[in-house]
Amino acid sequence: MTARPPRLVEWLLSRVLPRSEREFVLGDLAEQFAADLEHGPRAASLRYAREALAAAWHVHRTLPSLPSLPSLPMSFSDLARAAKTLRRAPGFTLATVLILAAGLGATTAIFSVVNPILLRPLPYAAPGDLMVVWEKDADGSNSRTGYATYVDLATESGTLESSAVMGSWLPTISGGTGDPERLAGERVSWRFFDMLGVKPVVGRSFVAAEDAPGQPRVVMLTYGLWQRRFGGDSSIVGNTVTLDGNAVEVVGVLPAGFDDVFEPGTQIYRVLAYGVTQPWACRTCRHLRMVSRLKRDVTRDAASAELNALSARIVGEHPTDYPATGINLVPVQQEVTRQVRPALMSVLVAAVILFLIAGANVTSLGLARAARRSEEFAVRRALGSGRIHLVRQLLSEGLLLAAGGGIAGVLIAWGAVRALVATLPMDMPRLAAVRLDAAAVLVAGLMALGLGVLVGLAPLGVVGGRHPFDAMRGAARLIGPRKHAARAGIVVAEVALALMLLVGTGLLARSLLTLLAVNPGFDPDHLLTLEIQSTGPRYDDDAAVWNYHDRVRDAVAAVPGVVSADVTTEVPLGGNFDGNGVRAQDKPLDNPELAPSGQRYAVSPGYLRAMRIPVLEGRDFGTADAADSAPRVAIVSASLARRIWGSERAIDKRIQVSNRDWRTVVGVAGDVRHTGLETNDLFGFYIPERQWPWSDAQVVLVVRTATDPVALAPSVRRAVRSIDPAQPITNVRTGSEMIATSTARRRLALTLFAAFGLVATLLSAAGVYGVLAGAVAERRREIGIRNALGATPRGILTLVLRQGLALAGIGLALGLAGAIALSRYLRAMLFGIGPTDPLTLTGTVMLLAGVALTACLVPAWRAMRVDPVTALRAE
Amino acid sequence: MPDKSSPSLGELESLVLLAVLRCDGEAYGVPVREEIRRRAGRSLTLGTVYKTLMRLETKGLLTTTISDPEPRRGGRRRKLYRLSTPGRRALQRTLATLDRMAKGLTVATSGR
Repeated sequence: MTARPPRLVEWLLSRVLPRSEREFVLGDLAEQFAADLEHGPRAASLRYAREALAAAWHVHRTLPSLPSLPSLPMSFSDLARAAKTLRRAPGFTLATVLILAAGLGATTAIFSVVNPILLRPLPYAAPGDLMVVWEKDADGSNSRTGYATYVDLATESGTLESSAVMGSWLPTISGGTGDPERLAGERVSWRFFDMLGVKPVVGRSFVAAEDAPGQPRVVMLTYGLWQRRFGGDSSIVGNTVTLDGNAVEVVGVLPAGFDDVFEPGTQIYRVLAYGVTQPWACRTCRHLRMVSRLKRDVTRDAASAELNALSARIVGEHPTDYPATGINLVPVQQEVTRQVRPALMSVLVAAVILFLIAGANVTSLGLARAARRSEEFAVRRALGSGRIHLVRQLLSEGLLLAAGGGIAGVLIAWGAVRALVATLPMDMPRLAAVRLDAAAVLVAGLMALGLGVLVGLAPLGVVGGRHPFDAMRGAARLIGPRKHAARAGIVVAEVALALMLLVGTGLLARSLLTLLAVNPGFDPDHLLTLEIQSTGPRYDDDAAVWNYHDRVRDAVAAVPGVVSADVTTEVPLGGNFDGNGVRAQDKPLDNPELAPSGQRYAVSPGYLRAMRIPVLEGRDFGTADAADSAPRVAIVSASLARRIWGSERAIDKRIQVSNRDWRTVVGVAGDVRHTGLETNDLFGFYIPERQWPWSDAQVVLVVRTATDPVALAPSVRRAVRSIDPAQPITNVRTGSEMIATSTARRRLALTLFAAFGLVATLLSAAGVYGVLAGAVAERRREIGIRNALGATPRGILTLVLRQGLALAGIGLALGLAGAIALSRYLRAMLFGIGPTDPLTLTGTVMLLAGVALTACLVPAWRAMRVDPVTALRAE
Repeated sequence: MPDKSSPSLGELESLVLLAVLRCDGEAYGVPVREEIRRRAGRSLTLGTVYKTLMRLETKGLLTTTISDPEPRRGGRRRKLYRLSTPGRRALQRTLATLDRMAKGLTVATSGR
C-alpha cells in the first residue's frame, strides 16, 4: 500500500514555505510520515498536520528576510473590538452562530456521505474502464449471466482487457476460536482481484490453475475477517480453515482498504472453479455477475457494439437458451450507485436548500442589527472614523461569527456523520469510506468564510451611504426603502425555500404512508423469522437435511408461545432471489426462455398457514405431500396463474419448473410482494421441500407466535441449538422488521427531509416575524398618529397583516414553482403519487401560510396597542 | 581562557550541535530530532529543529551541503548540516564552561 501524506496539508505547506527550504522540509515530513504509518494512517496524518504547522511557523519566524505571511485586512484590535461588540449582543450572536451551525452542519454531513458514495472514483485501478456486463432480458432489463456465456464473451471479445464473474456463497466457518459463524462470501473467477488492481497484503491472489473443477478449494480473507477471527496472524496463509466442515487453504489476505462495491460487506472469497460441462455452468443458469475491464483505448460504445454483435451470434447458435439478444454494458460506478442515487441526491438538494435558508436568515439578522446600529455608525463617522474602519469592524464581526458558526457546524457534522453511518442500510456501497474528511471540513470552512463576509458586508449597503447628520437626527426611523427591499427580498426567498423543503417532506411522507398501506401478502404481526443452516459432512445427504428441518420444527413448535414453526427456502422481503422459469404443459413455447420466472419457495407443508397467505383456490399442502413417494404437486401465486392461463382454471394443470419434473397445480395462493412493497413481481410458486431434487443448506425458519415475537426469540434460538449446536443462526427478524428494512431508505430520506423542513420553517417564520417586528417598531410614530386620528384597531391590524402576508404570498408562489421544478430529483423516491400531488401541494402551502400568519400576528397585535401619546412623546 | 570570538550557546543549540556531530555527516531534520529524542529524551517538532539549525547556520556555526537525490524515482535531495570550525569551537567552549561550573559539586535532587 502506498499511503501518502494528506495532500491538502502538503500543498498548503508547500505554498507557505520559501523555495529554498521547501524540498528539504517536505522531504523530512514525508519521511517521518512513512515511519509513523506503523501507528496507523490516521495517527500518521494527524502527526503530519501538527508537524507541518510547527514547521511553517518556525521556518517563517526564523528567516527574517522572508516576506511575512499575507497580512489579514484587519488587525488584532479590530477582532478584539468585534468580540466585545458581539458579547454585548448575546441574543444576536447566539442566534447567528446557531443558524450558521445548523446550515453548515447539515450540508457538510450530507456532503460527507454523498461524496465517497456518488462522486469520488471507486477505489480500484482506472475505475472508469470497469463495466458490468449484463445479458438482456425479454423486456430489455438487465439479467445475470450463465458461465458458458461468460466464457464465450471473455474469450472472443477484442475490446475487453480482462473479465471476471462472481456468484454468492455463504459458507459457515467453524473450529479455532469462536462459535461457528455464517460468513458473507463470494465466489469469483481467478482474475477478479487482478482486474480491479487489488494486491493482497499477505500471500497471493488466485491463479488460473486453481480456477477449474476438481482442484482443491482455496480462499482469500478480507482484512477485517483476518483481524477478527485470526488476530491478524500471517501464518494463516498457507494453512487451512474449516468451511462447511471442509478444510480449505487460505492463499492470501486482502488489504484493509479493499472495498467490494459489488457486494458490500463480503468477508471471504473462494475461487469460482466452474467448468462449462457442469450442469450449473449452463447458459440458462443465470446466477453470475460479470465485470470487465475495457482495453485502454476502447470506448464504452465500441465495446458495447462488439459485445452486442457477439451476443447476436451466440444467441443464433443457441436460440432456445436466451430470451433476447443483446448486452447491456454499464459503468461500475453508475451500477453500484443506481439504487442509492435518488435518495442521496434528493437529500443533498434538501441540505443545500437548508444552507441557503440559513444564509438568508443570518444576512437578514445582520441587516436588522445594522439598522439598529446606524446611529452608532453615524456617530463614529462624524467623529472622524473612515469608511474603511467601518468595513474592518463589520468584517471582523462577520468573520468571528463565521468562525463560531463554522466550528459549531463542523462539530454538528461530525456527530451527524457518525449517526448517519449507523443508520444507513448496510448494503450501501462505500459505507466504510464515509467520514468527515479534510475536503468536507475545507468546504465547510470556505462556506463559513463566504457567509461571514456576506453577513459582515451586507449592512454596508444600508448604513454606509447615509449622511451622518440624517442618521443622528433620527431620520433612521423613517422608512428606508432600500433596507426594506433587501430584507423583504430575503424573507420572500426564505419562505420560498422552506416551502420547497416542506413539499419534498410531504411528498416523501405520503409515499411512505401509501407504501406501508400496501398489503405485503402475508401477516407480519406475531411473526419471527430466523435463517438456519445445515452444513458439514453430517448433512451431505439430502434426507439428513430434511430430517434436521423436521426436528428443528418440532423442537421450536414445543416452545411455549409458539403457534407453529415451518421452513422455507426464502421469504418475501428477505432480500433473496430464486427465480425459476415456469412452463405449462398446455401452453407450449417455442423458446422456453420466454417462460415467466417465478420465485421458488420450497417449504414445509404448513408454510402458507404460518405466513397467513390465503389459498384462493384448490387446497393447501398436507403432511401427505411431504412423503418422498407422494405425487409431485405445486401451488402457484394468483398472478402467475393469471399470466399463464388467463381466466382458465389453474387447478390440475401440469407445470415444469426449470426443466425438472412435471408437477400438478393443486392450489392457487394469494400474491406476496417478494422484492419490495413498491415492486410488482408477484410471480411465485410453492413446492414441498422434499419434492425438490436437492435440499437447501440454508433455509428460513418461520415462526408464528401467540405472544411478542421479540420476547420469544431467545427460547426459539435455544430450541434450534438443542438439535445441532454447531449450526449458526443468523438474521433473526420479526415480521415488522422485515417491512421496516424494506422501507429503510425512504424512511431515512424522509427523516432528513422532515428535520430540514422543520428547521427551515422555523427560520422562515423567524424571518417574517423579524421583518414585521422591525417595520412596526419603525412605524410606531406613524401608527400612533393613525390611532390618534381615529383608526380602528381592525384597520391597524389589516395594515400590518397585509404587509406580512404579501411577502409570504410572493414567497409561497415562488416556492411552489421551485418545488415543481425540483421535484424531478424526488420522482424516483415517490410511490403512488405524482411529484405534483395536489393534496401535498395544497397542504404544505396552507401549513406554511398558517405559520407565516402566526408570525405576523404578534407584531400586528403590538401595533394595535401602540399608545399615540407615548409614541409621539418618544420623538 | 574563554574565546571571545565564538558566541555563547543556548541549551537547544548545544543539543542540536551535539546531535549534528553524532549524525556524522548525515545530519538533516529527521535524524537530528531522533538523536535528541533518544539521548536527551526531548521530543521536539521538526519545526523547532529547523528553527535551531537555521539560526546556527546564520551564526556561521553550521555549514550545509545539498546531497545527491536518492537513487529512486522521485527521490529527494537533502540539506545536510556539518559543524564549521567556529561551531566546534563554540561547542567546546560551552561544554568546558559547564564542566568548570560543575567541577567539585554534587547536585542533589532534593534539599538545598
